[in-house]
Amino acid sequence: MMRGTCWVADDYVMAYDIIIQEYWTSAIDPEDNSKWVMAGVKEEFNKENGFKENGHTFIVAAHNFAGGGKSIEHVITGLMGAGIQAVFATSFARLQFRNAINYGLPFVTCDNIDKGCETGDELEYNPETGLIKNITKGTEFQSVPAAPFVAEVGEAGGLMNYVRNKIAKGETIE
Amino acid sequence: MGMTITEKIMARNSGRDSVVPGELVWTDIHSVMTMDYLGKTCFDKFKSLGKPEVFDKDRVICVSDHLVPPPNQKFATMLNEWRDVVREHDITNFYDLGRQGIAHQIMVEQGHVLPGTISIGTDSHANTYGAAGAVGNAIGVTDAAVAMATGKAWFRVPQSVKFNITGKWQPWVMAKDLSLHIMGMMHWNGHLLYKALEFTGPAIDSLSMAGRMTLCNMTVDLGAKNGIVAPDKITERYLRNRTTDAWEMIASDEDAKYDQVYNIDVSDLGPTIAMPGKLDDTQPIEKLIGQKFNKAFVGTCTNGRLEDFAVMAEIMKGKQVHRDVNMILVPASQTVYLEALRAGYIETLVEAGAAVDTPSCAACAGIHTGVAGDGDIVLSAGNRNMTGRMGSKKAEIYLTSPSVVAASSIRGEITDPRTFDI
Repeated sequence: MMRGTCWVADDYVMAYDIIIQEYWTSAIDPEDNSKWVMAGVKEEFNKENGFKENGHTFIVAAHNFAGGGKSIEHVITGLMGAGIQAVFATSFARLQFRNAINYGLPFVTCDNIDKGCETGDELEYNPETGLIKNITKGTEFQSVPAAPFVAEVGEAGGLMNYVRNKIAKGETIE
Repeated sequence: MGMTITEKIMARNSGRDSVVPGELVWTDIHSVMTMDYLGKTCFDKFKSLGKPEVFDKDRVICVSDHLVPPPNQKFATMLNEWRDVVREHDITNFYDLGRQGIAHQIMVEQGHVLPGTISIGTDSHANTYGAAGAVGNAIGVTDAAVAMATGKAWFRVPQSVKFNITGKWQPWVMAKDLSLHIMGMMHWNGHLLYKALEFTGPAIDSLSMAGRMTLCNMTVDLGAKNGIVAPDKITERYLRNRTTDAWEMIASDEDAKYDQVYNIDVSDLGPTIAMPGKLDDTQPIEKLIGQKFNKAFVGTCTNGRLEDFAVMAEIMKGKQVHRDVNMILVPASQTVYLEALRAGYIETLVEAGAAVDTPSCAACAGIHTGVAGDGDIVLSAGNRNMTGRMGSKKAEIYLTSPSVVAASSIRGEITDPRTFDI
């Protein structure tokens, strides 16, 4: 069970704005990437630890979260480094949806979630059932539960660990 | 039940007779590409997986494209670290400065993409490979590291969407116009997210490999998983001298199931322009005639090919770039550069007053050659126009085709090449 406050995004939160151009060539490092994460999304986040210092646990968004076609993993590590434990959106861009799975960060698809939350609301998420509770407003949302493979990768702590374990055990991947 | 070409490729490369959309499969990877600014991280991650060598030294393709030639010390140092790690792993196909090009151009042009197979790359425009009848997919460094170790990647089999393209292309109208038209028609609102886009029909049959590459390239910007054109005689002719690997024709079954089918008649399609800031805010050129700009840019994995240079040279021959416009042209690879030189296109374009730069991603990613400054209005044949994409957040980027950039650069304002006196 995860619990904490959420930040609610607008439509079209692009990967570009989550990690702005000058940090694309940085090393992939959660702590480092988190300092400037979301810098392009809102002016108030465009300072060191500008997003991170709010201490949110969840992001709630509408369509095509992290879209705009950027495949860099800094987007995911930056969010994780800032303490984000799950992102709820009505849809996700595929490049970052994939990266999120590979890092074990739940990108959870949930209809209407964007209309039912305000920044600062306290949410509770059950990864097993997919149920999202808005404690502040006393409402509930049923999200799409993670596919078995996605859950397995998440439990291993990401694809690197998942594959590393398989290789160490001499198991084939199929 | 019949399968689409993408489903067939996913089945064939995962040792299955058939697959259905939504199914999760681990597939064999024909080639995995990485490039200068992410490549070292890929190799570092690969090393941490516990395999002493990459799955196949001939099929890990390394390209220097984003940072070359280095414009500053930071990039120069990154390139040195990158070269060290590529050498350490004894990679056969290393396209470094001097033999370089934009990675996606290199992958197709040098025969590292084969019809009926799956290739992946650590850059979003890896969708370009679909032009050669392959599944081309953009992935992050984690997937690349896993593929380097195992020769495999995981995929959820996508639903397919068919674009049936008919009619006769108007003069000077290019594949880029179709890409932008589809962008305006479908928007970014999620309809094509995760989908396999299949381009078919008479207007695709007649389209060159360069045009097919443009079309598949921009499917990532539609949010799609991949874009694909089934291999045909044009593919065969293109690949004949580029690969000795065996491949066979592969196509969708007649009874394949599509999530959606769209019909577009290109006879009605004119030059199309994406407005600054949002790729899916597209307009027919008629609405923008006379719009001034001060920078022109043609290059990138979308429109830096020989055909694009040929079109520009034809339009600009004997004319001069307007004095208020700086025009920068960047061939997509050294091979394209050399071919354009030999064909006389570069000579024509330089005589017209265009600046030609070393093949690289150049200003497209805003980190290199010809970046945009405050107040710049750029007319670009690249692939993205978000605020700040080419540098300054106070610059505006209009996206269009090379023929529109060429005609407009002469006049100094957006000009329809169909009505331009050539």
